[in-house]
Amino acid sequence: MQEAIPYKSYSTTRATAVGSRSPLLNFLGGGGGVVANGSESSIRKLVEENAVVVFGRRGCCMCHVVMRLLLGHGANPVVCEVEEGKEEAAIGELSRIGGGGGDGGGGGGIQLPAVFVGGKMFGGLDRVMSTHISGELVPVLKDAGALWL
Amino acid sequence: MDFPSTQFVPSRMMGTYEPIHQIGMWGENFKSIGNPSISASVIVEVDNKLENESETASHEMPVPSCKHDQEASKPFDKIQRRLAQNREAARKSRLRKKAYVQQLESSRLKLIQLEKELEQAREQGLYIGGGLEAGHLGFSGVVNPGIAAFEMEYKHWMQVQNRQLGELRTALNAQISDIELRIVVENGMSHYFELFRMKSTVAKADVFYVMSGTWKTSAERFFSWIGGFRPSELLKVLVAQLDPLTDQQIFEVCNLKQSCQQAEDALSQGMEKLQETVSATLAAGQLGQGTYFPQVAMAMEKLEALVCFVNQADHLRQETLQQMSHILTTRQAARGLLALGEYIQRLQDLSTLWATHPREPA
Repeated sequence: MQEAIPYKSYSTTRATAVGSRSPLLNFLGGGGGVVANGSESSIRKLVEENAVVVFGRRGCCMCHVVMRLLLGHGANPVVCEVEEGKEEAAIGELSRIGGGGGDGGGGGGIQLPAVFVGGKMFGGLDRVMSTHISGELVPVLKDAGALWL
Repeated sequence: MDFPSTQFVPSRMMGTYEPIHQIGMWGENFKSIGNPSISASVIVEVDNKLENESETASHEMPVPSCKHDQEASKPFDKIQRRLAQNREAARKSRLRKKAYVQQLESSRLKLIQLEKELEQAREQGLYIGGGLEAGHLGFSGVVNPGIAAFEMEYKHWMQVQNRQLGELRTALNAQISDIELRIVVENGMSHYFELFRMKSTVAKADVFYVMSGTWKTSAERFFSWIGGFRPSELLKVLVAQLDPLTDQQIFEVCNLKQSCQQAEDALSQGMEKLQETVSATLAAGQLGQGTYFPQVAMAMEKLEALVCFVNQADHLRQETLQQMSHILTTRQAARGLLALGEYIQRLQDLSTLWATHPREPA
């Protein structure tokens, strides 16, 4: 169960440390890559240490949409690419980590892209979209410390 | 199939240079690509052109004959004239050949595409729909049953929609209770949600069909964004109809407009990325080598994401509608639904008017 699943994780800013960055850096996109060893515990750490984490396939356009929405609010999401072919395993792992947060995929399967906010599973693009429109997204982000305005 | 007559530049002088031979050459070549309809029309075209040319040629005949009388005195002029005619004829001939080759190339591409579609249709086990509208037969003559089903359902949906609009009108004028009005509003909302469900189903069958908006009228298609209306556009139309709004409502509607715009932008950017991805995938490797199936297969995988986009766009439309109904009072919501419905009706009428409006023939 501790078998390493290859993840590549990188922050949209140049450093992995979470600190106050100029919002402009957020839009540079795809900074230097840091390869995490991908074990479940390190992913768990990633989720716990960062306010917003987005898990998605590489080059997934839906992931791009989620990022645009989150960046638009001033959040600074950490992107974690799931390796091709390893989606099933990744989703399994994420369900274990996610625990009781949000209604990810309606109780069924988690879908990629998957968004974690404040250490808990928040949902997919569907939930991000609905909460964005209803206005619920911003308070959630604020509570998780993703926004500092 | 269009065969513009401008491609064949009539040569006034050609009439005098073995016209029968010219027709024979073009005719045989056209027959060899197996498209009888083209060859027939071309032959007719060429025939007409040459008929006209022989008429003009007869007018111009007297001039050379005049020259003949003075042959002894002006041999230089005659040679010059003959050379000029030759050059002209050669130039015209080259132009015709070029046009013919272009026609040939495009027919070849079309043939390849037809064969591909036929192959795909066979693999999917589609049937040839009898008695269905010819609009979606495309080139191959087979109709996707998912599309056929959607078309029927949509027709019915429009009928219910129009009926509901009538009910809304009556209800608003009749001063019924808020509770009853709420029911009418809920029906209207559910009806739109029904449409989104229908679209989701047919998107799985053929996403390009939904994206193309063939099932809508032409003016509606003009405003199309990812298979439907832009929610922010509709909000603009709606809000103008809803005066007076409370300050709180104005604030909330403003927020909604902004969120809507942001969501649309995010989706649009995602679509652009999808285009880039598909384009890059298709163009990978060397173009011009002839074998390209792996690229096409990979591009198809990427294109699957289009279904997600259509679903997300409809999801956005649905959420926007929902949010509006939360912000507005029941009466305002009823007026809003009516305004929306009538706006779309006007678009449809515009399409009809446009189609029947007399225009100068092309």
